[in-house]
Amino acid sequence: MNATRQTRLTLTLPSSLIGDFFPILQQGFFVTAHVGCTLQRLLCRQWDISPDYVATRITTIFLNAKATDNVETAVVRDGATIALSGAMPGLVGATMRRGGHLAAMRGAMTYHETPADAVDRIGTVRVKLFNILLPELGPAFLGRGILVSCDDLASFFRERDESFWKSCDGGILDNMQVSAGRLRAEPFCREGTVRLTVNFR
Amino acid sequence: MDRIARINMGAAGGPTVTFEEVGEYAGLGGRALTSLLIAREVHPLCHPLGNENKLVIAPGMLSGTTGSMTGRLSVGCKSPLTGTIKESNAGGQAAQVMARIGYAAVILEGKPEGDDLYKIIINKDGIKIEVDNSLKLMDNYPLVEKLRQEYGDKVAYITIGSGGERQLLAASIACTDPELRPTRHCGRGGVGAVMGSKRVKAIILDDAGMKMRAPKDPEKFRDANRKFVEGLRKHPVTGEGLPAYGTNVLTNVLNEAGGYPTYNFKQGQFAGAAKLSGEAQAELEIKRGGSATHGCHRGCVIQCSGIYNDKDGHYITKQPEYETVWSHGGNCGIDDLDTVARLDFMDDNIGLDTIEMGVTIGVAMDAGLIPFGDREGAIRLLDEVGKGTPLGRVLGCGAEITGKVFGVEKVPVVKGQAMPAYDPRPIQGIGVTYATTTQGADHTAGYAIATNILKVGGDVDPLKTEGQVELSRNLQIATAAIDSTGMCLFIAFAIMDQPETFQALLDMLGAFYGITMTGDDVVALGKKVLSAERDFNARAGFTKAHDRLPRFFYTEPIAPHNQVFSVPDEEMDQLFNW
Repeated sequence: MNATRQTRLTLTLPSSLIGDFFPILQQGFFVTAHVGCTLQRLLCRQWDISPDYVATRITTIFLNAKATDNVETAVVRDGATIALSGAMPGLVGATMRRGGHLAAMRGAMTYHETPADAVDRIGTVRVKLFNILLPELGPAFLGRGILVSCDDLASFFRERDESFWKSCDGGILDNMQVSAGRLRAEPFCREGTVRLTVNFR
Repeated sequence: MDRIARINMGAAGGPTVTFEEVGEYAGLGGRALTSLLIAREVHPLCHPLGNENKLVIAPGMLSGTTGSMTGRLSVGCKSPLTGTIKESNAGGQAAQVMARIGYAAVILEGKPEGDDLYKIIINKDGIKIEVDNSLKLMDNYPLVEKLRQEYGDKVAYITIGSGGERQLLAASIACTDPELRPTRHCGRGGVGAVMGSKRVKAIILDDAGMKMRAPKDPEKFRDANRKFVEGLRKHPVTGEGLPAYGTNVLTNVLNEAGGYPTYNFKQGQFAGAAKLSGEAQAELEIKRGGSATHGCHRGCVIQCSGIYNDKDGHYITKQPEYETVWSHGGNCGIDDLDTVARLDFMDDNIGLDTIEMGVTIGVAMDAGLIPFGDREGAIRLLDEVGKGTPLGRVLGCGAEITGKVFGVEKVPVVKGQAMPAYDPRPIQGIGVTYATTTQGADHTAGYAIATNILKVGGDVDPLKTEGQVELSRNLQIATAAIDSTGMCLFIAFAIMDQPETFQALLDMLGAFYGITMTGDDVVALGKKVLSAERDFNARAGFTKAHDRLPRFFYTEPIAPHNQVFSVPDEEMDQLFNW
């Protein structure tokens, strides 16, 4: 993530448009976080997800593309990718589940914590949300603000259809009001990242 | 369901029908019935498209009852694709209707002389076989439309498209769904070619005047079914994930895990996966006025299918499943759901296995016929199959033959059947199943059935990476048993996680047949089926040398985990030792 220049954009949209953000949420977005802590601490303390929800709804977790069984021992380092999913069908879906009895089928895809340094610091992690977690966790992440590249956001606006633009009253771009027309018509940034905040009403 | 009908398509003077009591097959259904019968009656060295092969069509043990999820239809034969025994099953209405008419199995035998094409009408009054050459080379959608004009909407149709008629080795058998669309396919192994070799174009199943099959203990059966349905509805996979997103919900997870084979099994992740995901698919379906939640047969409570419309709201196809989206999408470097939907429709219409055809097109791309990612090119290749051109006939015979014809070294098949959407290098356990199953590479042969509850083979320590063979063995045994019940495999998750739901399933079977069923009985049935299949394959010339993955899986690591398949041959050779 290029941190040299950061634009801030805040949108307020009807909740019916949450689905429009699912592609960004699935592909992965960046967030600033206190890293060097356990996954459990990141999920529950920093992102305010209840331990019960983590235990019962987030049943499949990948840390750096490896299936993770124990959120209390897995440590999140700067630059990590965390993918969160509900329970999955299929043999492989069952295999990837946290602590499932088919976990032995994963082989080297299982995450094992190493004693390597995990520096306690402010860093950036990439988050991906899948399936039932998209509507359940997506609004909170968007409300807190996510980091996306200028290019990705420009693509996002370019791909919106009429129903999105009819419901969009514009937003606030770097503390200035910006119209929907301008968001739609031209890229408002050309490089770096955008801190995108979306409040759903 | 106390009769078996044998239709001798090769009888002198025209096809004949004989009926017999179900006899020693009483209480069996689905894969148990097809495999035990094929293993006993079909010469293992026969030509699969010759007159010695038989096509056994069997509903499940509980099909035609009021029980939920009981609508799978099994088709068995010697496979022209693999040369092994084959059981392929599908949803749709056919199993329910055939069971209510009273048949435990309908068996197509022999092979007629000449070029006439037949349709078979099965109803409460018996079985009629008629020549209907007006159906020649029709594909499934127009074929069913034509049949509906004559037989109406209150029947179920089993049909083959032009692929089956041309005896292509990837040809499927289509079963109509509740809306009478030919969308549910016995896809794997070329079973459609066997039906085509018998010159049977369509089977019309009419259960007018017949009632639901009655259980021995109706009250207990009703109570068990209620508990079973409750269990399915409360489970997050069967009650939430599958109804909302369908099986394609797996795309994102497999891709993240690095187990999503891409560009003909060269990489384990695909940059365009999110565009193909079940989440994206469901959004699009709903936005276009289709549906992301739809049952393939009446009585389904999971509703994992859907309706995929084009941007103008017109029907293209049913919701493509995960394996289809992968085979035609990521595996071919194509990241466009509309293209996948068109290819899915073409497969259903021509009557082809979507896994086999997607992998075949991936092999053709590797051969340089068209580049990876070429959307229109992929459609063009499938169109060749539909037209029956020489190229189309090669492609329609699957990945292995296409690889041989075009000199492709890396062809992902086992026993001639294309591998599905899970790379066996990062997911070693599924590689064991691909290699050793009696069916050729098949992800459903060792499904996530309740081995933990059944305690089949004992527990495997989930913290150890050893034990892949034992896990695969246990899963294959349990899957063979579930395939015999005619229950949809997706019940697996609820019965795996919820012992009371598994007990409800046993109680349904017990109440229906007036017996007491235990987990041990389920395991014994699974072993019996697998043993018969394995024995048939051995007599057909298959040895342990065939229970291997293609060599490149052992030598070429796949990113991002950079693993090769490493389960020792000696361990795999122990899989069927019980």
